[in-house]
Amino acid sequence: MASNSSYRFNEKLRCLLEDCFRREAGAEVAIPGDDVDLIEAGVLDSMAWVSFLRALETASGSFDLGSHVNGRTASFAALLAALEDGASTPTPPEHSESAQSLAFTANLTAIAASSSTVGSRVIPAEDVDRAFGMPVGKLRGRAGIASLAYATEGENELTLGGRAAEEALRAADCGAQQLDWIIATSETHHDYPALSARLHSRLLVRENCAALDVGGACLGLLNALAVAQSLIGSGQAKTILVVTADVHSRTLTPGRVAGEFGGLFGDGASAFLLRGADGNGASGGYLLGEFMFGCAGQYAAAIQISDPKDGSLNVQFDGEALSRAAITRMEKVLTAVELRSGIPRTSVGGFATHQPNPRLVTLLAKQCGVAKSAFPPVARVSGNLGSSTCGAALHESLRSASKEAPSDRRPIFLASLGPGLLFGGGWLTPSV
Amino acid sequence: MTKLLITEITRMGPAFCVIGLQREEERIQSVRSIPASGHSWSHFPHQRGDILDCALAPFPAAKPHIEDRTATRGFQKSSTVAEIETVSYLRKAETAESLPDLFGCAIHENRNGTGLHAMPSEARRSICGCETQNLRLELYANELRATLALLSGEVLRDLPVVDRDWRDFIDAALSPSRGANRTARLERFLNSQFHYKIMSCPHHFIRLGLTRPYHEVCWLMLDTLFPLPRLEWLQEF
Repeated sequence: MASNSSYRFNEKLRCLLEDCFRREAGAEVAIPGDDVDLIEAGVLDSMAWVSFLRALETASGSFDLGSHVNGRTASFAALLAALEDGASTPTPPEHSESAQSLAFTANLTAIAASSSTVGSRVIPAEDVDRAFGMPVGKLRGRAGIASLAYATEGENELTLGGRAAEEALRAADCGAQQLDWIIATSETHHDYPALSARLHSRLLVRENCAALDVGGACLGLLNALAVAQSLIGSGQAKTILVVTADVHSRTLTPGRVAGEFGGLFGDGASAFLLRGADGNGASGGYLLGEFMFGCAGQYAAAIQISDPKDGSLNVQFDGEALSRAAITRMEKVLTAVELRSGIPRTSVGGFATHQPNPRLVTLLAKQCGVAKSAFPPVARVSGNLGSSTCGAALHESLRSASKEAPSDRRPIFLASLGPGLLFGGGWLTPSV
Repeated sequence: MTKLLITEITRMGPAFCVIGLQREEERIQSVRSIPASGHSWSHFPHQRGDILDCALAPFPAAKPHIEDRTATRGFQKSSTVAEIETVSYLRKAETAESLPDLFGCAIHENRNGTGLHAMPSEARRSICGCETQNLRLELYANELRATLALLSGEVLRDLPVVDRDWRDFIDAALSPSRGANRTARLERFLNSQFHYKIMSCPHHFIRLGLTRPYHEVCWLMLDTLFPLPRLEWLQEF
């Protein structure tokens, strides 16, 4: 007789299967019997069959379904068998009833504290229009940007990132000597020593605290969180500081890049202190769920930036294609997060996503059928902060949640993009 | 009378779609020969590289299938050209290096799962050739799919492979007469020797096509993959 947990697990697989099927076939199509061959019965054509399976792979985290199904009928029964085969390794216990995911990390990771900061100079969008030689009102009218946060002369990635890091450490009552790793990400700091090494020195952490820089541009925060989660999950670290810092205003300058691109960006930083959580979670904090990543290479040409080493900057930027890609991909990522986590988007407290510009955030909210107010207004007041956009939005979502009673706190979804087109998503759940 | 160099024979359900090249003054252009009724041929006995004499009449096809021509009488084979020569002509016909240039329009991704499509009202043609940086074939849940990188670096995933010869080759590879573990052997071939044979071939070339509008969109598919498969490759796995 099947145990309760395996029964629940199989039920989750079936729910996931049916969810993905409905998305592909349409809500009005009845769920077929388990043994019905979906292609032979004309329920799905071959395009839709493959599309359905790919969506199921993403949602379940089982990435070899197609191979498992080769030689079998195109039926629910074959898919359930393949999903169960793929999940045959024992899974650790669930960490939260609200996060009904299919696979779980070995050790839980909690965000103990967070912080974000932006450049100290606040510039009205109209001044930026003028500086780039664009019609006054263009940034506000077309992109929805009210102002941009620019670094002052004395500010850079190190000072902004350091400031955010110190605030996060203070908020967690964590001494710098307790850190096992610093993981930094920036899309504008390309010097050596690298940003993580410079933060290491600035924060005066232990010499044997490791320092690592991860890439991904605007996706950098999610990459860094996933690395940190793995290190904590595998027992190699207990306390990790993740820092993002981006100063665009010295790179994307008038004369170097077009205002339609350069005018969107501001300067900022964020920091997150991560710790391993015991079986009871980090009371009052948030636990990291799973992350999912990928690269939608069909959009590779939509944004390309290279340094020709002559002082200029080569920027290929197809705004229309990139906007379309951003909306489509982020919605797909959020859908996959919703399916894999089992958390309906309507019950999410905050969407800490990348914000290429405020207009796209409005469109994304509409497309996803969620309130725009669930997206913290980072880009509207500070501009696109690169890898720090997601960080600032996550910090703001966590800050808002901290004002609520622990029992009223709701999950947070993460989603971001980077050139490539890299994409990633994940979720956080309140610990109880 | 038109001389048509047959470059594509695709399997579309139970029938075949036939595309060739014709020379018009100095231009080489693609032409899709269709029967007087319907869009495809239930029987097409010719091969790629065959040059056929035929009579083609303009056909008021809906966009983006502007290459459609009605065949008003049967095909008469006049000669055959080698595969390498066929590809040299294809390289002089419609080609593109980037995604938006393929069909002269934006290419959209399926919002639910996978697959790429063009909007019929936006696409300016339904067939285009291109070079690839890399190409992989995969048997995915019993369906033959291609993933490829264009010269621009843009990646196209999960394209249905409708090339008749490649589909026949896969069917032959999976034939019960070939013994046990056929799927696994085919997967190994596609992951190893196939890649070497295709990518090292100097006349490696592909043509992509758009389906007829279906649910208001035209899906991208891999119409032709050169070099064509050889039966003796079946002995290798």
